[in-house]
Amino acid sequence: MNLSNLQLTRFFYICSMSHPSRKVIRADQRSIIPDFRELYRYKDLFYTLSWRDFKVRYAQTSIGLLWAIVQPALTILILYLVFGLFVGVKTEVPHLLYTVSGMSVWSYFSYVLTNSGNSIIANQGMIKKIYFPRLIIPLSKALIGFVDFGITLVILIILMIYYGIVPSANIWLAPIFLLIGVLAALGMGIWMSALTVRFRDFQHVLPFIVQIGLYITPVAYPAEFAVQRLPSWAAGIYYLNPMAGVIQGFRWTLFGGNPPDLYSLISFGMVLLIFITSLLYFRKVEDEMADFV
Amino acid sequence: MSEVAISVKGVSKKYVIGKQKDGSLRGTLASLFSKRASKTEQFFAVNNVSFDIQKGDAVGIIGKNGAGKSTLLKILSQITKPSAGAIEINGRIASLLEVGTGFHPELTGRENIFLNGTILGMTRKEVTSKFDEIVAFSGIEKFIDTPVKHYSSGMYVRLAFAVAAHLEPEILIIDEVLAVGDAEFQKKCIGKMKDVANAGRTVLFVSHNIAAIKALCNKGILMHQGALPFSGGIDETINEYYKISTNQSNKTDFSKFNNEFIEVLSFQLTPTIGTVLSVESGVDFEISFVNKTLNSTIDTTFELRNIDDVIIFHRGTYIDEENGSKKGVYHVSGKIPAHLLNAGTYYLNILFGQNSTYLLMHCEEIISFDIENSIEDGNYKLLPGVLKPQLLLKSEFINHA
Repeated sequence: MNLSNLQLTRFFYICSMSHPSRKVIRADQRSIIPDFRELYRYKDLFYTLSWRDFKVRYAQTSIGLLWAIVQPALTILILYLVFGLFVGVKTEVPHLLYTVSGMSVWSYFSYVLTNSGNSIIANQGMIKKIYFPRLIIPLSKALIGFVDFGITLVILIILMIYYGIVPSANIWLAPIFLLIGVLAALGMGIWMSALTVRFRDFQHVLPFIVQIGLYITPVAYPAEFAVQRLPSWAAGIYYLNPMAGVIQGFRWTLFGGNPPDLYSLISFGMVLLIFITSLLYFRKVEDEMADFV
Repeated sequence: MSEVAISVKGVSKKYVIGKQKDGSLRGTLASLFSKRASKTEQFFAVNNVSFDIQKGDAVGIIGKNGAGKSTLLKILSQITKPSAGAIEINGRIASLLEVGTGFHPELTGRENIFLNGTILGMTRKEVTSKFDEIVAFSGIEKFIDTPVKHYSSGMYVRLAFAVAAHLEPEILIIDEVLAVGDAEFQKKCIGKMKDVANAGRTVLFVSHNIAAIKALCNKGILMHQGALPFSGGIDETINEYYKISTNQSNKTDFSKFNNEFIEVLSFQLTPTIGTVLSVESGVDFEISFVNKTLNSTIDTTFELRNIDDVIIFHRGTYIDEENGSKKGVYHVSGKIPAHLLNAGTYYLNILFGQNSTYLLMHCEEIISFDIENSIEDGNYKLLPGVLKPQLLLKSEFINHA
């Protein structure tokens, strides 16, 4: 496609026109979708807030990043003891490795969900005193969750070398499942952050969701293991869990085996549904946030 | 030249009192199931306000506490949405309702400059290019890599204002942030704000400090009980403001100060010099009352309290001490000297006593009034302290140490 100089000039002229140096606020008009262009303009705030959280997270603790290792390591150990040793769940790779692979995505999810869910309340001082697209706040938690993911990933790689297991040929698809995981964590987190503004009760619901989620999500056992023990009608319900498909899919890219099935599609559909509705609901309450927090 | 920077048309902001505080899930669920109307009350913090601001104007927004100034600023800076009306803004806007928004105590001064700058709407590139200027303006070069939790409150504010001062918006909205820092820094801030206004940018400024507003602004907007009764030149607006505040305080209903002993007929406050109650004007006061008691010595005591309920003075006089107070109308007047009270809000109580023993009547808060600040040596700052006397301070050089 060839654009003449004139066309280009026109194009940039139109772009500069739409740049909001002129802004109209009308009480009777509200958009139902977020202003993505404005979000993009605030990308520097997104990076700065992410970086702030990273600095602050380990600023005062004496062993710093070690905490990010100890917490998931202990959780993995407990899950291995309960599901691997006591229950004796059968998995295609050693159970410890199997659990670590599930935990890597789950630790990202739980960190991002917890922190973005509480983010609006935690930053209410800013919200009352300055304007910026409020969505930046829960979104900015997405990057720092990769610290937790990265740490478990290192444990995972060490264990794979130890057990002599080579990643499957599908490993290149892993980023896609991670991306779905990011959407799931953000979608739930944005919902929670918007709900807590109006209903503080959700502050108590949030840790509960994370705690229960660890057990109803196939982190330490295969989804089939659960589904086989459930009546057939309940299998679909099991996969309503947005993280079920993500973790099964991510594991498939690591170890091969059965590719994600139709059930997983239910899970991915849920991720999409939660993410899109979270943006809509957040937009709905965004204008009044400063009045309610 | 006369381009409109901000155009406000019929803007209102409604709050629902009672219901709003109750943000609980239980309350919402309960109201879903019960048709019983919960006790709610509507309140218009800003009520049908319209005005235009031209590019390059420095506009002072004046009004008493609770007049709706801050809500108006919040609407203009998009923090909250109006319930009715429309606003058009031409130009990049930055608002400064608080200095140091988003500062994190664990981070160093350097890190907080970037954090605060991007929160205020600058890009990282812009902050980087102005970084040295910001640090120089704040005057805390030595501590720039120290976490701000170790800063004194003065240093904290300097750094925060330095960041804000280097925003380069076309429209700048500022709320009362000048009430911080020492006198020297204060001058620096006013100077910086004047630069912004002189550079042809638009400034909106809210303050209780009339002297500062007068020094900085050329236009004024008066807010009163959510409405906008006046806008125009800054001097006219300030005059209107004084009219409203004196009308209000002299309109007190004295009929409640009436019992079997005493009936207050009138009470008045007037500035000794000029038309405004200020630090340098002094205050004349006079009261007329009917004494209904016989053959007793009546005394009146004037008790002045400030906004913190501190008693500033408690002074009185006997009425007609030599002859004994008669039945009938009395008139008592007095004077609070100039250069005594500091700027602020004051409440006057009057106590009527009998034979220095019995309290006949206690007129609580018979009047409340504001003393305006005065400009001294180009210093607009509200100084701390209850009093603002002229100390006739002198300094002289003796010899080289």
